[in-house]
Amino acid sequence: MSRVKQSRRGFLKTALGSGVAGGAALFGPWKHNRVYAAASDKPIKIGLTHDASGQFANSGQAEKRGTEMAIAEFNEKGGVLGRKIESVWMDTETNPQTGTRVAERMITRENVHFLAGAIQSGTANAISQVAQKYGCVYFNTNSSSPTESGKNCHRVKFVWDGSGENFSLAAARNAISTFGKNWFLVYNDYVWGQNTNDATKKVAAKFGANIMDEVAIPVGTRDWSSVLLKIQQAKPDVVAAAVGGDDFKVMRQQVSDMGLDRKPAWINNQQDWPDVFGLGADAAFGVFGTTWYHYLDLPGVSDFVKAYQERYPVTRISVPGNVTYNGYIAMRELLRVVEEVGSTDNMKIIKALEGRTMSAADRMQHFDAVIDPASHHVQQTIYLAEGNAAPKDDTDYFKILSWSDPDAIRASADDSCSLESYEATPSYDQG
Amino acid sequence: MFYDLIPHLINGVALGLLFALLALGFMLIIGVMEVINLAHGALFTLGAYGAVVMMAPDGGFPYEFMQPYYDLPAIPRYVIALIVGPLLAGVVGMGLEVCLRRTYGADPLYGLLLTFGAALVIEEVIRGIWGSSEYYLPTPKEISGGFIFGDLIYSTYRIYAAIFASVMIGMLWLFLNKTPYGAVIKAGAHDSEMVRALGYNLKVLRLLVFGFGAALAGVAGVIMAPIWGVRPVVGVDAVIPAFVVIVLGGVGSFWGAVSAGLMVGIVVALTAAFLTDWSLLSMYLLLLLVVTFRSRGLAGKASVLEA
Repeated sequence: MSRVKQSRRGFLKTALGSGVAGGAALFGPWKHNRVYAAASDKPIKIGLTHDASGQFANSGQAEKRGTEMAIAEFNEKGGVLGRKIESVWMDTETNPQTGTRVAERMITRENVHFLAGAIQSGTANAISQVAQKYGCVYFNTNSSSPTESGKNCHRVKFVWDGSGENFSLAAARNAISTFGKNWFLVYNDYVWGQNTNDATKKVAAKFGANIMDEVAIPVGTRDWSSVLLKIQQAKPDVVAAAVGGDDFKVMRQQVSDMGLDRKPAWINNQQDWPDVFGLGADAAFGVFGTTWYHYLDLPGVSDFVKAYQERYPVTRISVPGNVTYNGYIAMRELLRVVEEVGSTDNMKIIKALEGRTMSAADRMQHFDAVIDPASHHVQQTIYLAEGNAAPKDDTDYFKILSWSDPDAIRASADDSCSLESYEATPSYDQG
Repeated sequence: MFYDLIPHLINGVALGLLFALLALGFMLIIGVMEVINLAHGALFTLGAYGAVVMMAPDGGFPYEFMQPYYDLPAIPRYVIALIVGPLLAGVVGMGLEVCLRRTYGADPLYGLLLTFGAALVIEEVIRGIWGSSEYYLPTPKEISGGFIFGDLIYSTYRIYAAIFASVMIGMLWLFLNKTPYGAVIKAGAHDSEMVRALGYNLKVLRLLVFGFGAALAGVAGVIMAPIWGVRPVVGVDAVIPAFVVIVLGGVGSFWGAVSAGLMVGIVVALTAAFLTDWSLLSMYLLLLLVVTFRSRGLAGKASVLEA
């Protein structure tokens, strides 16, 4: 038996050489993040970025029920690619700073494959910036600022809710001819409110409205009496409000309390189901938009409601609304695409999603939906509704007035989107 | 222009009375016990939830045995809600006072931290029992709806709430100044050792004062619930203006708190009408302005250093 004698210098040279070669293979210069073997039986991990506190706590939990329901359904069928789906949830606190921190942690420490969840546009934007930095595919499930699929769009981000401009387009023309031309605009003074108000103003002006005044309301306003007096003094035909979350609830309560919910006419950009549920049909005042309603007369709707009730028998929101629906549909589509492309590789997923058409029947809406490849915004049916004076039961708050074809209400803000190139987007696959 | 201003001034006075109502319990506790009760907002919320249970069949306790109660007319249920909400807040407040005893005489920071922790605990307990969804406190139709005011409509409930707040302010003043119990409480605020030397049980006095202050927070919660709505975090909206009103009015001063409440109400109402972007900031700017020139607030007592 022979012994190979190795000098200290020789050993150091070998070690250094191996280190450099190994380091080069792992760290660069190519734009890759954690490329492991594609075939794996480890679970697919999804990072859920839903609010549980702050202005949108209630809606955040509603969309969480939707995303988790889709994940549970896939797991019951054996998972995806033969792999179990796991989710990890962190409270984004309706706060962009927290959104950034949570997204960073989800990607770098939890090693999630995908991110999903958002109500507030500022938080969604913060999460998507982190996701784009790493190349992690992110589904913005419920935040609807026109900028989310406009100037703040990203290659990795897909926006599943209708935008404020979609809702304005759906409502404006009808409102001007029915109620009058003198409009008073009220909006929350943050990214969603500002951009939705800009979109409303543009749409209203296009259809001949006269904008009498516009008032920016600070987020967290609890007393609306002065603004409501000001509106009365201005005597508008229509008040178009882009106010969300708890602020909207307080505003609605005070409008109703003053008896101003009948005149002037109120156009509320979008009415999220968790903001209304439990308060009765009176809470659904004015005319407003939504992407879905549990009494749509379409196949699959009642089955979906039943499945939700079986999965969440004790939740106070006893029927799903638009927020839960968006969360569910988005997550379901993500998992389907993973199955179809046979991989969790971000580029394969992104390319499969771009331009993807989803049938109306499958989505339980009136028109087919498509993911716009230029903005990553889901172009879908928008419903106009008002409070239901003749409800079927104690959950039947909305009366659906009309539904719009996605082509007729396409948001012009989407045109300002400039997606990063594929090359500029890091490849990302957690294996 | 002046004609346009009148409704906003009246609205400001109504709002100011509500701010003063918010601050009453806070003022009593800080004045008598020198404890900054950061759980004031949570106790406010508890009062509101207590009232919801007594008013709304969907108030989180849909037990069948409550059904005959819910069949009662709205007015008696509302009166009961006005008792049960504050009672609930008062009892929890008394429990909090027992926990606070170990902090008396120690660094005030301990009391501050304890009440802050208690606020978080109470909020989470509320979330655990009622969930994070919104509740609505229905009111009797006699005090609901719009009130014709010239060619404007104003909320009937706000008129009622402002009158109620005025009555509460008056009753509290009478209690503190015209009854022997009030005299003991005031004496306790000035010199607690002397009160003890006169044979009063200081422990019981502090317990009752804290409970009373907490119950006043609960009263404010019941009154504000139909205006602000009922959510687990609604107390945060209450504790901050209450704190501003107390500091602005001068710690421990009854009429200071009332006049500061009115000032804050009028300033907030006018800025919300004419400079809406500044409406939330306006109360802090007012505080900054007053404290810059008069550090003890509008009616606070001069310190030894100032004499």
